[in-house]
Amino acid sequence: MSDKLEFYITDETLQKMLSIKKEMGYEEKEWDEWFNHILKIIFSPKTNQSEIEKVMEKMYYDRLYENWVSNFALNLHHVWNESSAKDLDPSNNTEYEKENNSAIVIGSGPSVKKHRHLELLANSDYKGTIICCDSALRNALNAGVTPDKFPTFYVTTIDTDQIIRKYYDDPIVDAYGKKIKGIFSTVVNPLVTEHARKAGIKIYWLHSLFDYNEGKKSFNQISALMVRARKQRGLPAIQTGGNVGTSSWFIAWQILKCGLVGLIGINHSWDEETPLVDIISHGSGLNHTEIDRNSSAFEKLFPKIYNPEFNCHCILDPYFQYYSNALKDFIARSPTWVTTINATEGGCIFGKRITCTKFAEFLQKYNK
Amino acid sequence: MIKANFKISKTSRFDTEEKDKTNENENEKELTQTEFEEFIIKSGASGSFMVFRSDKPEEELGLEEI
Repeated sequence: MSDKLEFYITDETLQKMLSIKKEMGYEEKEWDEWFNHILKIIFSPKTNQSEIEKVMEKMYYDRLYENWVSNFALNLHHVWNESSAKDLDPSNNTEYEKENNSAIVIGSGPSVKKHRHLELLANSDYKGTIICCDSALRNALNAGVTPDKFPTFYVTTIDTDQIIRKYYDDPIVDAYGKKIKGIFSTVVNPLVTEHARKAGIKIYWLHSLFDYNEGKKSFNQISALMVRARKQRGLPAIQTGGNVGTSSWFIAWQILKCGLVGLIGINHSWDEETPLVDIISHGSGLNHTEIDRNSSAFEKLFPKIYNPEFNCHCILDPYFQYYSNALKDFIARSPTWVTTINATEGGCIFGKRITCTKFAEFLQKYNK
Repeated sequence: MIKANFKISKTSRFDTEEKDKTNENENEKELTQTEFEEFIIKSGASGSFMVFRSDKPEEELGLEEI
């Protein structure tokens, strides 16, 4: 059965449509065929981007994009004069075998403290690479996980807010800074790199990907061009997955070419006993909104999930949903030479191509 | 003004009902974009950075050099 639908368009709109139809190579074709082509372009899923990711993308552009551009401009002089993260790539050495090298990524999730992972690591004879997320640096050093004990020691910063400088503003960071290599995104706040530099940390730069797919006019491509204006080579560009933990996992295999990556403190979720105000505010402690704990919206925003690998429950907030979905997706799609061992002993990172184990077992089994 | 005429096919009632059921089920599982956006704006919470997506899946895993 069919009906006729009638509506009116202006001459101007018709002229525009005729012109675009012609430009798109559909001048001689039926209108129906052209409309279908346009609808396909508009509505076909271009990427793996979920609804949550679309909202987050809008939020980040609205709130932070201008800061990223400004931070990059202020960092550029240093980016030109300091090292590229590419310089850390060991694969130029023909004897290097990525399959025989491992890294431990240290995040600051609650499991680290709960299971005394830093103490376990400090008392181990682990011989691989340490990649410490900025937020975990002070605790790691204080617990004895230092570059004196683990000479291949890196710290990573991706977050663009100046608040991150507090992670580098500590006497213990000053004490070990000269033995630590820092891997920083070109859009981090310059006050943060200034603190790190002051502590003696040698800085290695890389780009954080966010709009590279938008072509030559994208910030990623323009900023890369500006870096190459003075540097002979470009910088590596990483998927951050939205947070420093996922970035560190990428750095472990993509930059440092470690075939085996262990994770501790990468919970991407809250423990059940975490105060509600922290869960709702993503840890800031500031609660600007009221949510009925019994509403269906609450259950969707803060789902409680069971982790069968570690036999525990955890609670995700919207950001952790955003981060964890992405990290699990990227681990599942990582090259076959990359093995990911989650030794967090909590949290929500489990699934395809993720082996979960206790950290003590990890240290016994993968000590190289 | 230009008048345009389009023939449209009516979807059967059965199809519509089935589609509604599917959407209902999906809504039970997934947070709607509006609910999510509303919370993010109101909460004042902020994350670190954004996930990069591309129509070239291999680019999403990073680039050696740009």
